[in-house]
Amino acid sequence: MQESGQSAALQDLDLRQAAIDSCFVELDEEYDILLREVCIRAAKSRISSNDTDDRRIIQAVQALDDIDRNSNELSERLLEWYGAYFPELELTGEPLARFVSTFGSRANVPESHPMFVKASMSMGSELSFADEELLRTFALNICSLYDTRRHIESYIVTAMGSLAPNLSDIAGALLGARLISMAGSLQKLASFPSSTVQVIGAHRALFKHLRGNTPPPKHGIIFNNVVIKNAPWWQRGKLARSFASKISLAARTDFYTGKRDPSIRESMDKKLNAIRAANPSPPKRESKPAGKPGSRGKSRNKKGGRR
Amino acid sequence: MPVEELSDGIFRINIDDREMLATKNLVSGISVYGERLIVEEGVEYRQWDPNRSKLGAMVLKNFEIPLHYDSTVLYLGAASGTTVSHVSDILRDGLVYAVEFSPRTMRDLLQLCDQRPNIIPILADANKPQSYTHIVEKVDAIFQDVAQPNQAEIAAVNSKYFLEQHGHLMLSIKSRSIDTVASPKRIFKEEVQKLETGFDVEFEVLQRKELEPFHEDHLGLVARMFVEDEE
Ligand SMILES: C[S@@+](CC[C@H](N)C(=O)[O-])C[C@H]1O[C@@H](n2cnc3c(N)ncnc32)[C@H](O)[C@@H]1O
Repeated sequence: MQESGQSAALQDLDLRQAAIDSCFVELDEEYDILLREVCIRAAKSRISSNDTDDRRIIQAVQALDDIDRNSNELSERLLEWYGAYFPELELTGEPLARFVSTFGSRANVPESHPMFVKASMSMGSELSFADEELLRTFALNICSLYDTRRHIESYIVTAMGSLAPNLSDIAGALLGARLISMAGSLQKLASFPSSTVQVIGAHRALFKHLRGNTPPPKHGIIFNNVVIKNAPWWQRGKLARSFASKISLAARTDFYTGKRDPSIRESMDKKLNAIRAANPSPPKRESKPAGKPGSRGKSRNKKGGRR
Repeated sequence: MPVEELSDGIFRINIDDREMLATKNLVSGISVYGERLIVEEGVEYRQWDPNRSKLGAMVLKNFEIPLHYDSTVLYLGAASGTTVSHVSDILRDGLVYAVEFSPRTMRDLLQLCDQRPNIIPILADANKPQSYTHIVEKVDAIFQDVAQPNQAEIAAVNSKYFLEQHGHLMLSIKSRSIDTVASPKRIFKEEVQKLETGFDVEFEVLQRKELEPFHEDHLGLVARMFVEDEE
């Protein structure tokens, strides 16, 4: 520190000299104190912003699940309730809520609407004004839940882009966020071996396996990714393993460097294509392996229905 | 004499017929990672566990440690600060820039910085010294313990940016981060060669020794940067 004079002009920008020249600090010691404080503060803020980022993303993912549960329940109620007035209307979920909140009574469906004929010929009972008002408000609330859901999704995509760009690249922002949420934090996800990443979210199958005679689960929620979901069954295990290992790598890169590294994606695409090319057709022994993927398929459908 | 100063700020203490390595505690009363505090003739020392510190192991392996009371040091791979705390003890009139790239580990390091005015924490990747050129000035020594496959390169690049002419590089090379199967001896040889001739800064290796029994498959190395006259 005493030799700070010497250190002038050694880097492109000599902050110490600049600070002294501009009378921002008077002494070398003051500069040292200031530098240290600034560095501590910079490191702290980068750490805490990391922290809150993944906490926020986890909250958002859980909010999505809450909304899904509630909107499903409310939509079913609406279906049953409104069904008495317009049983021929074959809509459910969001389209139903949109329809009810827009028209209320089927008498309001305009001629130009594809449902007009069904509406005018319906065998449902008449809707009183009071009931119509109530149903419309109820449906409107459901619509706004669906709107909020979309809003949260785009929030997650943005937040994941800055917290975990590589994970978003590899798994997609929403699946990536879900993995972080189930792991508890980006740090935990980064610390998992990829064999664990592969079964994250397979709680039920895992407990079943632990209790006894079922085989261990081969994939958890990463199965939701099209890479695996759309693949023929005999490739899925291999694809899932390789997908999980790239997810691990991406999570680590995000946690440790925070920088986007396109080579992860490239190497994954290469690997997946190699697996596809090496396993063009199902393995020979037909009888046993054919049974298993079928049963896994069912449990997958159960999951799909919940979302 | 129970206390002997091996080199600036580094002590060997004889207590209950056992010898231990120690540094003078810069922040009295505080033990950083559960190490023992020893008071001798009114001075408080902190025991330095060579099993938990490559630098500590290097001292016990009779390396000549190029650190002085007023040195400035760039420490790459500071982790939670186990060794940095002893470096901070040694440099009572100096300064250590502690670079670490894992945010979680940095959190622990920051607690250490709160107590010790001579540590400047830098959350950055040692592969990218450009990202901290505005903070770090020329240093007398670089200590590096990053356990990365490109350890030699990281050392060379940082030396080029930050090491004084004829400054010292202290390096811990972990063979298994470079290659898990090849023989450590061969890896060490290659890494040393890289340092001597592989980059646009060259080093004269002063001492090199494996750090057993304190650390398996680790090589300790002290080198001096060798600068060709430009004129
Ligand atoms: C073996 S530990 C260092 C232990 C420490 N020297 C001690 O004795 O207390 C290696 C550390 O280097 C960090 N590290 C690895 N690669 C790095 C890089 N490129 N830049 C900065 N730090 C890195 C790791 O996060 C880890 O904390």
